[in-house]
Amino acid sequence: MVTQMTEPDSQPISDNDPKTKPRIPLAIEDYLSAGAMAALALMTFANVLVRYFTDQSFAWTEELSIFLMIVLALVAGSGAFAKQHHIRIEFFVQRCKAHNQRRLNQAVTLLSALMFAILAVLSARLVWDDIQYGDISPGIGVPQWWYSIWLPALASVITLRLLGLWVRLGDRS
Amino acid sequence: MIGLVLFGLFVALMVIGTPIGVAMGLAAAAAIALSNLDTLWFGLLAIPQNFYASLGKYPLLALPMFVLVGTIFERSGVASRLVNLAIAILGRGPGVLPVVAILVAMLLGGISGSGPATAAAVGGVMLVAMSRAGYPKPFSASVIGASAAIDILIPPSIALIVYSILVPGASVPAMFAAGLLPGLLFGVALMVPAFLLARKHRMGDAEATLPRPAFWPSLREASWGLAAPVLILGGMRAGLFTPTEAAVVAVFYGLFVGMFIYRTIGMRDLFAIFRDAGELSAIILIVVALAGIFAYALSTLSLIDPITAAITGSGLGEYGVLALLLLLLIAVGMVLDGVSIFLIFVPLLMPIALFYEWDLVWFGVMLTIMVAIGQFTPPIAVNLMVSCRIANVRIEETTRWVLWFLLAAGMVLLALVIFPALATWMPTVLDY
Repeated sequence: MVTQMTEPDSQPISDNDPKTKPRIPLAIEDYLSAGAMAALALMTFANVLVRYFTDQSFAWTEELSIFLMIVLALVAGSGAFAKQHHIRIEFFVQRCKAHNQRRLNQAVTLLSALMFAILAVLSARLVWDDIQYGDISPGIGVPQWWYSIWLPALASVITLRLLGLWVRLGDRS
Repeated sequence: MIGLVLFGLFVALMVIGTPIGVAMGLAAAAAIALSNLDTLWFGLLAIPQNFYASLGKYPLLALPMFVLVGTIFERSGVASRLVNLAIAILGRGPGVLPVVAILVAMLLGGISGSGPATAAAVGGVMLVAMSRAGYPKPFSASVIGASAAIDILIPPSIALIVYSILVPGASVPAMFAAGLLPGLLFGVALMVPAFLLARKHRMGDAEATLPRPAFWPSLREASWGLAAPVLILGGMRAGLFTPTEAAVVAVFYGLFVGMFIYRTIGMRDLFAIFRDAGELSAIILIVVALAGIFAYALSTLSLIDPITAAITGSGLGEYGVLALLLLLLIAVGMVLDGVSIFLIFVPLLMPIALFYEWDLVWFGVMLTIMVAIGQFTPPIAVNLMVSCRIANVRIEETTRWVLWFLLAAGMVLLALVIFPALATWMPTVLDY
C-alpha cells in the first residue's frame, strides 16, 4: 500500500527532459534493479521447488537472498533518488512560491546526499573491521567483507547521484 | 533536550519535503552524535550497523515479492475481468456499479498489497463505466478512493508485513489472518452508503439499460484472477508456503496468466515489470532501513519511556488514548503511506499498547484501519488523490460523498473496539 506521494505532473524532474537528464544514464540502475528483482524471484522460487521435490532446503541461499535484497534497495534506491521518486510530503512545499520550492528542493537534495555520505564513510569503517578480523559469513562461509563492502560502495553511488541532481537543479535557475 | 532535537529535526525535515527515510536517518544521526560527544566516532557507527540489520531479515523478503505480485497483476488485465464477473453476478441497476467497484477493489486487495495501485487499477476500469452509467465523477472518485483503502487491511498487505517485522509476537500469517475479517467488514460497510447514496440521489439510472455480461464466460475469464488470492492465502493456511514463498508462487502464477492466458504481458513488458517492482520495493526498503536507525535512537537514548509515562499518566484512560491515536493516525494517514507511518509510530506506540495490555495483533489491525481511514480523508488523502486524478475532479468536490464513507469506516473501527474478537478470532482459530 505504498505509493509515491509526488504527483507526476508536479514533478520537478522528468526522465525525458534533456536538460535535467543525468549524464550517466539511469538505465544502469534500471537494468541492475530489474536483474536483482528477477534473480530474487527466481532464487526464492527455486528454493520452493527444491524443498518440495527433494525434501532438502538450501538454507544457504537465505544469505544470498538477503544480500540481493540489500543491493536491490540501494541500486534501485539510487535510481529513485535521481528521479526524485522517494516518499516525501509535498503538501507544504507545493504551497510555497516557485523559487522557494526550487531552493527547498535543492536543500533537501543536499541533505539526502549528506545522509548517504555519512552512511558511506561509516560503513567503510565497518568493512575495515570485517577485513581486519577476517569475519566469515555464517551461511556460505565466504569472507564477510564480500557482502559488506557493497554498502559503502553503493551508498557512495547514491551520494554522487544526489550531488549530480543538486548540480542539475542549480543549473536550471 | 535530545528528544527535542530528534523529533524537532525530524518534523522540520519532513515538512520541507525531505524524503521520509532521510529525515529519520538525519534526525537520528544528530541525536546519537549529541548524546555521545565523548565517544569514538560519536557512537555513529550504529548508523551503518542498524541500516544493515534492519534490511537483513529473511521475513522482509516477502515485501519485494508481494510488491512484484501487485505489479504483475496490475498489468495482467485481471481488474476488468473481475468487473465483468461482478456485474454478471449482481446484475444491472442503479447503485450496482459502485458496489461492484468496492467488491473488485477487495478482490484485488487479496492479490496485491498496495492501495494506490488498486485505486489506479480499479479507477482505470470503473471510472469510465460509472460515468457512462450516469454516476457523477466526484462520487465515483470517492467510491474508488475509499475502497482502495481496504487494501492495506486485506491480506496480503505490505503494511501488515512491516508491522509484523516491527512487532515480535505478531507473525505475518497471524497479521494476515487478523486483517481478513475486518477487511471484509470494511468493504461491506462501504457498500452500504455507496448503494444508498446512489439510490437516494438517483445516480446511475442509465445503468439498468446497459448490457449484462453472460455469467459463465465471465466466470471462466475471471477465475484465473480469483484463483490468486486462494493460492496465496490457501497455500499459507495449508502450511504449504511461508508468506515469502506464497508470494513468489503468486509471481510465477501471475506471469503465467498474464503471458499465456490473457496475453496481456509480452516479453517487452517483463523488463518494465521487474524494473518498476524493483524501484517500488527499494523506495519502501530504504525507509525501512533508515527507520531502523531512528528506532535505535529512540530506544537507546531512552526517549520512549517519558512519552509513554506522559500519555499513560495523562488520565485519558484506555479509550481516551485510543481516540487520541485515531486523530493522530488519521492526520498522518492523510499525508503519508501506511508503511512509513508504521515505521515511525509503532516503536513509539508499542510500550503504550503493552501498558494497557492490548492484544498486539488487534492493535496492529486497529492502527491499520486508522491509517486506511486517513488515506481517503480529504483534503489531501493519497488514495483520493490518485482516483481524483484519474477522474479529473478536484478532491474538494468529493467531500460531500466521502464523509459518508468515513462514517461507515468509523463504524468498523468502533465495532473492532467493542468486539476485539473480529481481529483476534481468525488467528486463534487458525492457530497462528
